[in-house]
Amino acid sequence: MKLGRLPWAILSPAITFVLIGIFAPLLMTHDTAQQDYGALLQGPSASHWLGTDYLGRDMWSRIIGGARTSLVAMVFVLAAALVIGVVIGSLAGYIGGITEMALISVIDIMLALPSLVIALALMGVFSGENFTWMSDYWKMILALTLAWWANYARMSRAVVVSELQQPYIEAARVMGASHIWIFVRHILPHVLGLVVVYASADAGALVLAIATLSFLGLGVAPPVPEWGQMLVDGMSYIEEYPSLVIIPGLALTAVVVSFNLLGEAFALQKVPKAIRGSLLRRKKAERAAEDEARRRVEAGA
Amino acid sequence: MTTPVYAVENLIIDLYTPTVSVRAVDGASFEIHPGETLAIVGESGSGKTVMTLGPLGLLPEGVAIDMRGTARADGRDLVAMSQSELSAMRGGEFGVIFQDPMSALNPMLKIGPQLAEQARRHAGLSAADARKEAVSLLARTGIPDPADRYDRYPHELSGGMLQRAMIALALAAKPRVLIADEPTTALDATVQAQILALIRQIQKEDGIAVVLITHDIGAVSVLADRVIVLYAGQIAEEGSAIDVLTRPVHPYTKGLLASVPDFRSEISSGTREIPGLPPNQTKVEPGCRFAERCSIAQPSCLARRPTLLPVGDGSVLHRAACPVVLNAQGVAHQ
Repeated sequence: MKLGRLPWAILSPAITFVLIGIFAPLLMTHDTAQQDYGALLQGPSASHWLGTDYLGRDMWSRIIGGARTSLVAMVFVLAAALVIGVVIGSLAGYIGGITEMALISVIDIMLALPSLVIALALMGVFSGENFTWMSDYWKMILALTLAWWANYARMSRAVVVSELQQPYIEAARVMGASHIWIFVRHILPHVLGLVVVYASADAGALVLAIATLSFLGLGVAPPVPEWGQMLVDGMSYIEEYPSLVIIPGLALTAVVVSFNLLGEAFALQKVPKAIRGSLLRRKKAERAAEDEARRRVEAGA
Repeated sequence: MTTPVYAVENLIIDLYTPTVSVRAVDGASFEIHPGETLAIVGESGSGKTVMTLGPLGLLPEGVAIDMRGTARADGRDLVAMSQSELSAMRGGEFGVIFQDPMSALNPMLKIGPQLAEQARRHAGLSAADARKEAVSLLARTGIPDPADRYDRYPHELSGGMLQRAMIALALAAKPRVLIADEPTTALDATVQAQILALIRQIQKEDGIAVVLITHDIGAVSVLADRVIVLYAGQIAEEGSAIDVLTRPVHPYTKGLLASVPDFRSEISSGTREIPGLPPNQTKVEPGCRFAERCSIAQPSCLARRPTLLPVGDGSVLHRAACPVVLNAQGVAHQ
């Protein structure tokens, strides 16, 4: 997919975020959990590029590590929510009848509550004894997934229902195409087209939700580096050392804004835009040269 | 001769997309006078619509448009005008009937108010007068029980009725030129005849000029006074309808007419197609665009773009852009 003529600079935080998440181990200068009581709450220096926190841990390494934590969790949640949502939504839309009614009811109930509230409630449930085999990290991913799929199901169903009414579906049926063929070949591409665009904008909201859960102490447990966690840790020192809050806050804001812009760029990509500027000038120059060549040929003939 | 209500001269329209540059109209000139019906015929993609609607600023968005030449109406040059100036000019000077009435009328609004809005905007009528005007327009276009139809939504009307409503909409601002862009393509045969008859009747009554964009030769013979044959953005032949349809000169016009089935001939010779495909108009090349498909093409055809010259059959209006035929007929030029 191309990104049209949107300035790449705007998207650089999202791209940087993904790259940093992937190459985090190479970029970290310190162990994220390593405490240094000789260097608490320091400002930026040659050894600690962004300073240290209240336990003397390297802020740079923790920001980088936090990016990786968020990225991995986000990818898992988004992928799982997308699959669950598309499957449930498509089944509802394609089968119709009682099945559709039942599935829509579930989707509506899920959508009636804010995703974050559902995720919080699920985290509460998972903290029970029956779930001790799961680490907090995976509990968070599971809770977010279960709270996140409903929107994708709703969109998938809407697309399936509207595409099913198109004449080409009827034509495919007349040709004797099976349900599987019609769905995979004719309907799924439309569903994915919409859902993926939505997901690219949703990624930012998800990063924020992950940070929120950690901020509230329900997500990633210390000492795993996480931006929400870092915000909590920095809160106590906000007056004396505001950089402890500002740095993870800025990282979070940049990623959320950037993913929103990415989603918008994908959505606008479907709208054809007239070329302008230097490309248009070049095309016009090419055309003018052709005109001139023709004029010369015809004058000589 | 009267002054033309719409005169296009040496119009060149280039369309640019990121991947291709298309010379949609390549130096076309035509004019239309009050009370006259001009038919523009040609294949799909020959530039009929772009040539006629382009200067009015009615080309689709999403492509960069470069327009040169002049298109004069009401003493002003449309090519040099801004979108807002064009918008003010359109309704009053030009009315347009589109191919698909279903998508040209807003499905969420009743038909009558859509007409009344036009009447209010361009004629400055009061709400009550605009309603009366809209009902009378519906009546004029042959819609039965117009007072009732005023409050109907587009989906409640048949295709033929909708096309009548579309014509009423085009007439609401009392244009001097009515442009009908394939007005009958989406309709069935009996309704086609009615719509053509309606257009002709309106033209007689109002004395407005009609530009008929079509690839339906039947419609041309019913309606048109004059015909322009367009090929790959260039005018191949023009003249009175009777001249062009019965005594075509340009090989392309002949081919075009031969490809129309004639159900009246007793021994059907079938239709003949023109070999090959229209050229892609992405390059500007010297010579006749039709040469590669032409049975009488000569080497010289590829070197020089043919200009429109009088055919010399007694009608000054009948002109063709084919030196080969004209020379063979012994028409002296230069």
